[in-house]
Amino acid sequence: MFRGSLRTLSLLLITGVLSWSFAQGTLIIAQGTDPTNLDPSLSTDSPSATVSSHIFETLFELTPEGTIEPWLASGYTVSADGLTWTFDIRQGVTFHDGTPLTANEVKASLDRFIDPDNAYTFRFLLTRISEVNVLDTYTVEVKLASQFAPLLAHLTHSSTAIVMTGLDLDETPVGTGPFEFVSWERGQRVDLKRYEGYWAEKPGIEGLRFLAVPESTTRMALVETGEAHVSVRVPPQDIARLNANPNVTVENVSSVRTIYIYFNNTMEPMNDPRVRQAINYAVNKEDIAEFVLGGAVRVSDAPVSPGVFGYTPVGNYDYDPERARALLAEAGYPDGFSTTLYSPNGRYLQDIQISEAIQSQLAEVGIDATIETLEWAAYLAKTNVPAEENEVPLAMLGWGTVTGDADYGLFALFHTSQHVPDGSNRSFYSNSVVDALLDEARSNPDPAVREQLYADAMQIIWDEAAWLFLHSETQLVAVRDNVEGLVIHPTERYLAHKVSLR
Amino acid sequence: MLQYTLRRVLIAIPSILGVMIIVFAMVRLAPGDPAQLLAGEFADAETIELIRERFGLNDSMPRQFTRFVTGVFQGDLGESTRTKRLVTSDLATFFPNTLELALGAIVVALVFGIPAGILASLRPNSPIDLAVMLGALIGVSMPVFWFGLLAILIFSVQLGWFPVAGRGTLRHLVLPALTLGLSSMAIIARMTRSSMLEVLNQDFVRTARAKGLFWRAIVLKHALRNALVPVVTVIGLQFGALLAGAVITETVFTWPGIGSLLVVSILARDYPVVQGAVLLIAVSFIAVNLIVDLVYGFIDPRIRYD
Repeated sequence: MFRGSLRTLSLLLITGVLSWSFAQGTLIIAQGTDPTNLDPSLSTDSPSATVSSHIFETLFELTPEGTIEPWLASGYTVSADGLTWTFDIRQGVTFHDGTPLTANEVKASLDRFIDPDNAYTFRFLLTRISEVNVLDTYTVEVKLASQFAPLLAHLTHSSTAIVMTGLDLDETPVGTGPFEFVSWERGQRVDLKRYEGYWAEKPGIEGLRFLAVPESTTRMALVETGEAHVSVRVPPQDIARLNANPNVTVENVSSVRTIYIYFNNTMEPMNDPRVRQAINYAVNKEDIAEFVLGGAVRVSDAPVSPGVFGYTPVGNYDYDPERARALLAEAGYPDGFSTTLYSPNGRYLQDIQISEAIQSQLAEVGIDATIETLEWAAYLAKTNVPAEENEVPLAMLGWGTVTGDADYGLFALFHTSQHVPDGSNRSFYSNSVVDALLDEARSNPDPAVREQLYADAMQIIWDEAAWLFLHSETQLVAVRDNVEGLVIHPTERYLAHKVSLR
Repeated sequence: MLQYTLRRVLIAIPSILGVMIIVFAMVRLAPGDPAQLLAGEFADAETIELIRERFGLNDSMPRQFTRFVTGVFQGDLGESTRTKRLVTSDLATFFPNTLELALGAIVVALVFGIPAGILASLRPNSPIDLAVMLGALIGVSMPVFWFGLLAILIFSVQLGWFPVAGRGTLRHLVLPALTLGLSSMAIIARMTRSSMLEVLNQDFVRTARAKGLFWRAIVLKHALRNALVPVVTVIGLQFGALLAGAVITETVFTWPGIGSLLVVSILARDYPVVQGAVLLIAVSFIAVNLIVDLVYGFIDPRIRYD
């Protein structure tokens, strides 16, 4: 009996060793959290989007270079008035349960997404759609209530993915993607395997496993010991140590997430553009990037980040404390003033440390900023208050333009109609010229014209210093050297479609 | 005894109701709106409104509370605003994992804590006693996250003896159970030592020695049994605390337990999950205490329930 249990014990030990090293041909990615839900429309976080992007596919695809390519839609045409879009659905695509993809599934999927009863968080991406019609087996017609140029960009967003409707997708996620669902041990790991009936080039690996590892030290240890191939969100202070490991490289890929500190444009003294410009000159963004963030960011030269359609560099506020003092004096604050800087703690890379650096730099030009830190939920509540009751003069936020189109990154943040709580313009920035430019860029179908409109709008926003412009985050990902072909997407997703293991 | 148990269960009902009222009020008093958090920093008012409607967050407080209470009696704890799954299903997934970890930790604490405490009590102020007490002091004062990370660095990264993280086999359980059990081990060792010291100085021990009984038999049969009652109380309290307090250990070792679920849910203001998880922890705590009280009777037959 004792011997028997000893044998069971040693068997347990052996399976223990095997369960993490897993069979050859499975890529293991350690993420910061477990997916919240495998239904692509029900989750809003990057770890969920990363997993669901392997199971589900969108009509259009945003490449890491920032171009939009047909994907489950093989082509499209737009009516002259821009209100009717006709999509050709790719033929020969099947869902993981064998059902062929036709116009019916696409219609059902889009209808599900815009149904107000479902209350999907990203529903606003497609609320311009008034109806979806099936023209024939492989053609879908989408009618818009008003012209909406960013439609294709919005159809690249992972939450708009085409799904098999009528299923609980959290339990049985059935899509058309290169990997199919195997199992999900909640709080621990999601296992996927290669879908052998995939319509495009099949992945070079048999399986894919996502681990949920919230503690960053633990996550880094996993990639160091080889228990994971990829560990995301490397803390900047660990870069050197990981790179010293002969089997690990820390990749540094820019993200479409822009970090900034917004001014309350209606509150004294922030309502004076000279004060806002002074603060932009008073803060040394380069030093912060280098010393606080270990070089792991890109200093902003526009309100949106490179890789977003419509991005153009529109300027820079080089560190110049003299000029900052002069501008403050001109605005009537020769001795500076006192204010409060609201900062999250742990939401963005080194956020509180950045705020502290800014605090000390502002002190040099006479601005005495007190830092106020709130837990994230309280932070959101505090900043989402109408102008007349709003008490926040300065606050740090980040915004990922995940559709890859500047509309998503500019309209909601700078248009007058979007002042909180109706929209997301927390700075109460308001400029009728910018409003007109953003409206026009939203409806004009010509990409070249739109790019120019965005350049003009961003120039005004920049010159009026609506924000203290800081930087775009970069994604630091530790990858073992036997992994080839991993795509670290600027939308903060990690794609294993083309990965092979050596 | 049966009557005693029944009475204790009945007395527990007001406590549980109290817990329900407090947790219901506390999560809602904390600033922040689940719909807003779900929708993200840049959601528009319409999206937030749709989400509020969908999860019944627009209903009046009494109505939400009634829904919570009636739901509990029907075994329905509602739907998670974060994961959109049934709370009961999430709890059923995560709670057994916490139970496993807490059991592992208490086993570690007992296996090392009680013998160490006995050893120390036999030679008070000897080097052994000092070593045990110093160890206990260190065990109680060492921050869990620090010890956990250190254990990973030494035993997983350097020596490769145990997996870094995750749950699965006995090997996965060793480091987290050791980390979590450490402070309980220390407390139990100290409690055993002082309780034993007290008992060993009592008359019946002297009588037993005078009778010429073996010292080993006196210590293990007569003294230990008498010394155990306060130790069992501490074990019960510790086990309850381990169930509720495994948050840090769970996070460090990526152990998918109810503690880490609770933290994520609090941050997301996921009211139904927070309510459900706290309720479950409270009920387990009460149950553990009841069991401890019943165990007294077996250890010390002088304790009667009536």
